[in-house]
Amino acid sequence: MISVDDKNHPWQESMTVSDLLKDLEDQYPYVVIRVNNKYISKPNFEKTLIPENAIVHLMPMIAGG
Amino acid sequence: MAKFNLRDMKTFNYDRPPISKGYADQYLSIDISTGDISIKKVSKEMKKVFIGGKGFDLWLLWNAVKSETKWTDPENALCVASGPMGGTPSYPGSGKSIVTAISPTTGSVMDSNVGGYFGPYLKFSGFDALEIQGKTTHELVILIDGVDQKIQLIESSGLPEDAYELSALLTNHFANGKPRSISVVSAGPGAKNTLIGCLNFTWYDTKRKRTRYKQAGRGGMGTVFADKGIKAIVARWDSVTLSTNNPADKEALKKVSKQHSREIVELDPKQNEMAKIGTTHLVPIMNDFDLLPTHNFKYGQHPGANLIGRDVYQHLFDPGFDGCWMGCTVACSHGVKDFIPFTGPYKGQKVFVDGPEYETIAGCGSNIGVFDPFTIVEMNFYCDAYGLDTISVGTSIAFVMECFEMGLINQSHTGGLALHFGNRLAALELLHQMARGEGFGKIVGQGIRKMKTIFATNYGADVSILQDIGMEAKGLEFAEYVSKESLAQQGGFGLALKGPQHDEAWLIILDMVQNHMPTFEQKAEALHWFPMFRTWFSLCGLCKLPWNDIVPVDNKDTPEPAKVIKHVEWYAQYFSSVTGRQSTPDGLITMSEAVYNFQRIFNLKMGFGRREHDNIPYRAMGPVTVAEYESRQERYDGELMEKYKVDITDKPTEEKVAKLREFRQEQYEKLKDAVYKRRGWTQDGIPKVGTVKRLGINFPEVMEVLKAHGVE
Repeated sequence: MISVDDKNHPWQESMTVSDLLKDLEDQYPYVVIRVNNKYISKPNFEKTLIPENAIVHLMPMIAGG
Repeated sequence: MAKFNLRDMKTFNYDRPPISKGYADQYLSIDISTGDISIKKVSKEMKKVFIGGKGFDLWLLWNAVKSETKWTDPENALCVASGPMGGTPSYPGSGKSIVTAISPTTGSVMDSNVGGYFGPYLKFSGFDALEIQGKTTHELVILIDGVDQKIQLIESSGLPEDAYELSALLTNHFANGKPRSISVVSAGPGAKNTLIGCLNFTWYDTKRKRTRYKQAGRGGMGTVFADKGIKAIVARWDSVTLSTNNPADKEALKKVSKQHSREIVELDPKQNEMAKIGTTHLVPIMNDFDLLPTHNFKYGQHPGANLIGRDVYQHLFDPGFDGCWMGCTVACSHGVKDFIPFTGPYKGQKVFVDGPEYETIAGCGSNIGVFDPFTIVEMNFYCDAYGLDTISVGTSIAFVMECFEMGLINQSHTGGLALHFGNRLAALELLHQMARGEGFGKIVGQGIRKMKTIFATNYGADVSILQDIGMEAKGLEFAEYVSKESLAQQGGFGLALKGPQHDEAWLIILDMVQNHMPTFEQKAEALHWFPMFRTWFSLCGLCKLPWNDIVPVDNKDTPEPAKVIKHVEWYAQYFSSVTGRQSTPDGLITMSEAVYNFQRIFNLKMGFGRREHDNIPYRAMGPVTVAEYESRQERYDGELMEKYKVDITDKPTEEKVAKLREFRQEQYEKLKDAVYKRRGWTQDGIPKVGTVKRLGINFPEVMEVLKAHGVE
């Protein structure tokens, strides 16, 4: 199990950030996701694995300086 | 403690008016050449059209200067204002001041937005704005004492040169045991000896028991201040509550303040964590998207970026509350405690460094090839202490480093400095030289536009390459984002009224990554509403961060998430509850549009503000060199083949660079067309008569400027 924006979500072995976003069926074009307090940018979504019991926050916006 | 003398030259007593619905309804005008101090009324019309803050500043400056006024002329007015909501302690980000003057680097009107307590203290002392004209040959300290209701012009001697020591000393001197009651504005020796000087605005950190600093960095406002002979301006005010601003509807204000404040407390830890790490999270993110400027904006990525981002600074920042205004829950003004510089006059001494923020990290770090977090902290410290803008310093040093590596300048020009990218000691030495007005640093301190002329005229450097890689527009150095792959951001920089600063329009992610605006018309629409929202914050004395850096959970489900409309609605309520003037989200845009168009016409009055002045160097649009092209060959080849249907088989890179340039420059010109049309401007970039009439800025003097430029 992992936590996604404070809600429980099932975890799978080898689950990537891209897999999670597909699971969520959330159409919003996320740019950055926080996984256990590490920022993962879109270019790295497919290659970043989500560990079991991870705490995930979907970053709604990057607004710039 | 330094030995210093303060001699009262003039004391002007006044009766402080009660604040009414966010306004003092008067402003303070000081001519330091003559010593004249006067208090002038703010008219209903001025409030209606210009709102406050930057709007008031612009109106005062417009009336102070003629079209031929130069930045060094006594009539150039340094104006500072907060805004009707400035000084509200419960609403996040409500302590901003806005500074305007004719800029040393652009020759036109400049505005710079800054935190700290000065603007609110100025207003509560009885003045919606401060206008300073004239020049003086002796060191002048101006005291605006709202507690004792007096203005003092004070001749000083023996005060410290740098802002770090000076502000702390003056805070202590005028505090009467209450240092929180003091805010100091000062520049520093760098501001005096360069054209890229900043102003330091202070706030007192009661927990750490020290004076803290924020900077009005852009466009040389500190240089104007120093050129006038002003050593410091001190504002003194007593305690601040929600009632101090005397809002029209206190209960409504309480309600909306609480909503926004609570949301930030709840969501910031789950989003960008600005209360913990400021804007340092942007460093690795920009790097991942190839947007972090490295080596004078040549590239957008570097393996060393992780050494200078959030992961490092979260450990360097001193934990604790870091709001640059009272009660702000964004609280992003972090600092480094007990830092020990390894160069310069503070070498070996423990200092507190306010910062760094993203722009400073990118400008004084990656863009000059420095990936050492401590060097960046040291650059940050000395820029502030010397009164120098970290963005202009960083971008200017990046430019000279590339010139050095290209052989356009050499060690005979640089006084022996080997200005290779990454030479941190040389970068620091340049900074110290800027402050002293000596050596090659004195030339760098003139800013990029002047350096281009010097390098071409005196050193025989190639003019066209200098134009391509010299990252300035309108005379202002670029802020720290690579805009090559976002046409909308190229417009965000190039069409910004004061020059390429990100505070007007930051559209890179929306455009390049999320592809929210694929057509010219959509980009033009974004380049209309985004600058209008951002302008509005500067009219009201507000920080823009609470608008869209922390957003509601359900924001993504709204029709236009980029606008964060729930917050805009709160801002409309906030404005209404303070001023009593009912407003709506659309009403906020209209307020900004009036001031925005006025500022464009102000540029025109000063000899700028036309299509040609919205040009940007090619480095901001695409790859200048073969090496740049080949570093991202797949991207650029793909664009030529797929978007422009060019057969690139067997074409040498030089030819592809030239072809891509042709297309991208054409795109930028088309963007200008679309934006001008959307803004109601002529194809030469001048507001049309119908536009200025619709916005209520058709004053006779405005119409005269338009007429003189063939618009009637």
